[in-house]
Amino acid sequence: MIDERGRDVARALALWYTVAATAILAVSGLLGVLMRDSQAGLGRLRPDFFYAIMTAHGLGAFLGWAGFAVMGLAWWVLASVGFPVRGAGLLLARLTWWLMVTGVLGIVVSTLLLDFGASWVFLYPLPLHGAGAWGEWATAVFSASALLAGLAIVTWCLGILHTVLGPALHAVSRNWANRYGVAIGLGYLWPRRFATNPVPVAYPVIPLAVIALDMIVATLPLAVLLVIQLVQAFAPSVSVDPLLAKNVLWWFGHPVVYLLLFPAAALYYLLVPRYAGRPLVAGNVIALAWGIAAIANVVVWAHHVYLDYPEGSVQGAINTAMQPTTFALVLPSALSLYSLGFTIYRSSFRWTPASTALFLGLVGWLLAGLSGIVNATIALDVAVHNTLWIVGHFHHMALLNIGLLVFGATYALLPELTGKALYSERLAWTHVWLTFSSGMVVFGLWLVQGLNGAPRRFAVLPHEYDTLTRVSIPFVFVLALAQAPFFWNVLQTLRGKGGVATFDERGIPEPARRPAGAWTVTALEGAIVLVSLGLAFAVGVAGFFLGRDSRAPAGHTVTVTVTSGGTGAAAGDTAAGARVFASAGCGACHTLAAAGSKGTVGPRLDGRALAVSLVEDRVRNGKGAMPSFEGRLSERQIRDVAAFVAQGSGQ
Amino acid sequence: MSGTGTVIAVAYGIAVVVGATVAILVWSSTLRRRSVDRERLERRERTWFFVVLAVMTALLLGTIFFVPYGESAGKGAQVVRVTGVQFAWAVDPATVRAGRPVVFYVTSTDVNHGLGVYDASNRLLFQVQVPPDRTQKVVHTFSKPGRYRLLCLEFCGLDHDRMQAALEVTA
Repeated sequence: MIDERGRDVARALALWYTVAATAILAVSGLLGVLMRDSQAGLGRLRPDFFYAIMTAHGLGAFLGWAGFAVMGLAWWVLASVGFPVRGAGLLLARLTWWLMVTGVLGIVVSTLLLDFGASWVFLYPLPLHGAGAWGEWATAVFSASALLAGLAIVTWCLGILHTVLGPALHAVSRNWANRYGVAIGLGYLWPRRFATNPVPVAYPVIPLAVIALDMIVATLPLAVLLVIQLVQAFAPSVSVDPLLAKNVLWWFGHPVVYLLLFPAAALYYLLVPRYAGRPLVAGNVIALAWGIAAIANVVVWAHHVYLDYPEGSVQGAINTAMQPTTFALVLPSALSLYSLGFTIYRSSFRWTPASTALFLGLVGWLLAGLSGIVNATIALDVAVHNTLWIVGHFHHMALLNIGLLVFGATYALLPELTGKALYSERLAWTHVWLTFSSGMVVFGLWLVQGLNGAPRRFAVLPHEYDTLTRVSIPFVFVLALAQAPFFWNVLQTLRGKGGVATFDERGIPEPARRPAGAWTVTALEGAIVLVSLGLAFAVGVAGFFLGRDSRAPAGHTVTVTVTSGGTGAAAGDTAAGARVFASAGCGACHTLAAAGSKGTVGPRLDGRALAVSLVEDRVRNGKGAMPSFEGRLSERQIRDVAAFVAQGSGQ
Repeated sequence: MSGTGTVIAVAYGIAVVVGATVAILVWSSTLRRRSVDRERLERRERTWFFVVLAVMTALLLGTIFFVPYGESAGKGAQVVRVTGVQFAWAVDPATVRAGRPVVFYVTSTDVNHGLGVYDASNRLLFQVQVPPDRTQKVVHTFSKPGRYRLLCLEFCGLDHDRMQAALEVTA
């Protein structure tokens, strides 16, 4: 066991991380609600704002909340199984906190203030093609911030490795590779080669040791890409092959999911046996599964690019090879669910809000795993790739598995981290069940919409999907409101309103003993629901007025600029037309010196002295390969761009 | 819903029902305390490992031959060139005949796009990713005449959701 000072250090780390993560949840969760409302036509956001919010929500909820929370709780898991955070490990743990908080703040600034909206996967070279929605500064600030968050992952991994490979491992060998083998549980398989004294490593250490090495390998290439992207924002001559960049992104992008899942597994391994009152039911095969996971984790990225197989590339072969490696990752999940399920089976499991959240989290894990197998199968992925099915899948993973685990761990561990009893078990029950049930509906509807072909990342979905989107809205509100009792409960607990923590013989915190005359829980619940409803309504109304769709034809003033050039006078603002030319993507197909464009798909426009009416007609109706822009551009924009092209083509 | 979508819906539905049943059984088993043979369960972990391995191997063998890579259209194919730009599709020609294979050569001039083709009742027929400056080939035979819709299925920026075009299929 570790001494009290060691426990205090780990307590402080876990608290700092989870408090910051919980604050990030509050913001990023609300952004998610705004997006779904907007899709349902309730407070429709301008597209630039929608996609900026989408970027902030993705990174914020995924890394800033769920990731950050389990990263913090990992320090307490390690302390609980006898691994104190010391020396360099402690420095790295603290550095991680600062890097992550700074990174998330930078991401907030670049998205919500500078309108960076290239999505959290910022698929290169999209960050450099803002189409007028964001500029090079937004790209630079975003790239730098994402880099800080990436560095936070690396420093966390180093800190974890420093801690698990230290003297607390009780490994016999001094060889680092051997010690790492001990830390990922190989001693369960080969007790003599990976010898420990006196017992093999505790199960919760294994997934942490696995992910700590994998994430270093996964993050470094992305860091290089981010630096290049940052430089390219100001020096366009620097560039990368987009297909390579896509592979690099997913080389990081898949393992980062397991930066959430593997520490979550460590927490399940620690907490489920405690509530079941008996040790984890696990033999030595689980160590084999984690060994497979350690290797497979870094060779599965291509399942995110199953539908990229351009001619003359080997991508199709890489993709095919990665279906079996992805399938291999089913093993650690399947074995973990077996172990945890049978640890609960026929035990005298104590059902508290915390343990219920953990149990429902395992259900979420199963649901996400099953939809994940669909995504991992190339022949099935073609039907669901980039549809809302994927959104349903990863919300099952992120909120109904990792999220419920974080909530459960918060209820289970807050009393031992703070010495204060949980303020209200009743609020916690409400929170856990409402989150699970409303989440099931909201995310289940995404799965259905996805199977019907609904595309993801659409500010406005094709109208065929409107019905189910609107059906989900009340449940979205319930899901959002269900979080209010969580925040209130945590806040009141931290303020010591639940009294001093007491624990039963298993180490499970007991319900708070409330002094007489205090506020009743029922009154509080009522107040919270009313206040939250009011807030949600206010946010909805504010969203509606802030972000009404600007793409509808609007504006009362018509600027008529008479210019000579081309075949005569043009009605329309040529300067505005130049901006339309750039943002509508005309230059990608057409060469026009006045716009500096060099596209070769469509006819060259220079020197052809085109009539305004002809250009207007082509833009409006299209011809041959050229699509119609009617409805996509406003009347005003069509006149402007026609004026600009007519003038430019005469030069 | 497309044919593949229906297969997924049925398989996933069954798996969820089985999973939920197991979860309820595990929950109800805790209501009365009963003994459990730990050692047997730990030995059975190995059996479970091989069950999962067998199921995943079967799924692999059952699906890996249906990858869309390296399709060829054979003789008499029609050719359509599709170019993605922020935020439009250029489709050339925009009309094809039903019943004969169509080879789509898809490319992008700026960022990553994704080409998804939907039929008149909004079923997703096929899709393919479109990385910039590369050509992606995909073959499809339209069985029915009508107006088909092309959407962008890879997020490409501000007007991603408006990046749509039509393809006419005649008899």
